[in-house]
Amino acid sequence: MKNNNTVIDAHNLVRVYDEKTVPIYALNRVHLHIERGEFTAIKGPSGSGKTTLLNMLGGLDSPTEGFVEINGTNITKLKGNKLIDFRLNNIGFVFQSYNLVPVLTARENVEFIMLLQKRPTSEIKKRVNELLQQVGLSEKAGKRPSELSGGQQQRIAVARALAPKPQFILADEPTANLDSVSAGNLLDIMAKLNKEENMTFIFSTHDQRVIDRARRVITLEDGKIVADTAPASTEHTHYETS
Amino acid sequence: MLLRIAWRNIGRNKKRSGIIIGAVTLGLAAGIFLMAFYSGMIEQRVRLAIQNETSHLQVHHPDFRKDYDIKYYLVNGPASQKQIQSQVEVKQAAGRIIIPGMIASPSGSSGITINAVQPEKENAITGLQQKVRAGSYFNPQKENSILISEKLIKKLKLGIGKKTILTFQDSSGNMMAMAYRITGVFKTSNTPFDENNVFVNISDIDSLAGLHHQYNEIAILLHSGSSLKVVQTKLKSLFPEYEILNWQELAPEIALTVSVGEQMVLIFMGIILLALAFGIINTMLMAILERTREIGMLLALGMNRLRIFQMVLWETVLLVLAGCPFGIGIALAAIGITHQTGIRFKKFSEVYASFGYNDVIFPELNLRQFLIIMILVILTAVLSSLFPAWRALRLKPAVAMRK
Repeated sequence: MKNNNTVIDAHNLVRVYDEKTVPIYALNRVHLHIERGEFTAIKGPSGSGKTTLLNMLGGLDSPTEGFVEINGTNITKLKGNKLIDFRLNNIGFVFQSYNLVPVLTARENVEFIMLLQKRPTSEIKKRVNELLQQVGLSEKAGKRPSELSGGQQQRIAVARALAPKPQFILADEPTANLDSVSAGNLLDIMAKLNKEENMTFIFSTHDQRVIDRARRVITLEDGKIVADTAPASTEHTHYETS
Repeated sequence: MLLRIAWRNIGRNKKRSGIIIGAVTLGLAAGIFLMAFYSGMIEQRVRLAIQNETSHLQVHHPDFRKDYDIKYYLVNGPASQKQIQSQVEVKQAAGRIIIPGMIASPSGSSGITINAVQPEKENAITGLQQKVRAGSYFNPQKENSILISEKLIKKLKLGIGKKTILTFQDSSGNMMAMAYRITGVFKTSNTPFDENNVFVNISDIDSLAGLHHQYNEIAILLHSGSSLKVVQTKLKSLFPEYEILNWQELAPEIALTVSVGEQMVLIFMGIILLALAFGIINTMLMAILERTREIGMLLALGMNRLRIFQMVLWETVLLVLAGCPFGIGIALAAIGITHQTGIRFKKFSEVYASFGYNDVIFPELNLRQFLIIMILVILTAVLSSLFPAWRALRLKPAVAMRK
């Protein structure tokens, strides 16, 4: 059900692989509605379609059927550079294996996205300083990813995801490669950003530590949503399966 | 930022980048040096042709060159010569009588061109005196002296001080013969020229040839070859009744050599660059393959395809440009040294001379050629980046990030 607070509206998403031989339904008629400020975990066993769903919501992959609307824009209809530009300005990504640009320093990795947005230099400098401070890595600004621990790299990845001021952040198993202390720190930062800046986070995860911190948990199995433990405040969020 | 990423990416696989930078260094050094070598060789050929054979410009009766009949001489030759000499661009103008004839000795004869010259003026143009290897140059006190080449003296079994007979037609078509005493033996770096030319003092033959104080050729040497066209145009307007030709028109085969030589060097350079291009394409494809996941991530984050293309393009161009200073440095050092010392091909001196070349080559490179090479190198880098960049552009972020 759409309202002014709606960030993501996914309708009847189907994603079929090997359509012509033996069709595999990675997603099977998924409906999903996410509102601003949610802190949502998508869980499920391997192969349940978590990453596929995240890819659809992030415009990294196209559904075989259905569509995704972000802030009222049907991103399924966007192609090529229009879709890339939309992602740049609206969606933040945090990946399982950090995926920082190895030849850039921590500061440059965060700056880089804003340079792509052609933001003014003064604004970039100010925001990068703020973000590095928020993730607690100001003193590591000049270090390259190879000189940082996994947890530090993932915190830089969060700063990078926040840099373009996105509508929401998609985090694909962000704690999977982290020890418990680093994972705890990362989740603290994300929770703080969610609480203080009302930033929307959507995680795909196996990690119980993430699931325990999420305010909404969506369970996927065989490409279908089988459970959605929406809290009372977001009970208008619905899911449908077929 | 793209430039920074591209530059730093070069350092990610030092061994692989090092190989390409090494290949660019070697290829460029070889290419530039080869171009300089050919350029020096061609420049030398042109210089020798201008000096020995054609001068910068020649003035003739319009019909003279059809069959070299001396009845077609320059009316008022000496006055024309004086007027030409007064032009500021002209270093020297020398009158000549050119007569096809025969040279004979007791042991044989040979068809030759008799060059009747003004000794001092001729020397100022062709440096003929310096080419005299034995005996002496023309002496005003000695009449009827002749300079013949080493080749011809051997062929006719003659020697310095010996007499030889020149036979030719005068301007009225009568057969004339005259005995000349060999006073000097010359040698130029052009064997065919040596075999077919003899020199006599113009004052010893003009009356006999029926050209009293007249010439059928005025050879002109300029202070600088760059004023060639200007002087030619000026002289054409001064002497509309004469045929005034520059060295390229007089010896089109040399002009052709210049153009063919340049084309050959460019073809050779093209082969070097083509081989280099395959190396670059291979290296960049490997780099793209290794960074599939990273490129997928960049696409996912919002780097559009034009920027991905620019990144690959910059990386390729920078990789190539990184090798350029070394290649250029080595080539310029080699050219600098060999331009001073020359490269001697002693074993092939006869072969070189038969084509009109000296056996010592002084490589030289001008700015235009250098710029051509640099443009070709950059073009190679840009073209080599197209296929790897295209491969990078085809990546789909979701698929690439699973790699």
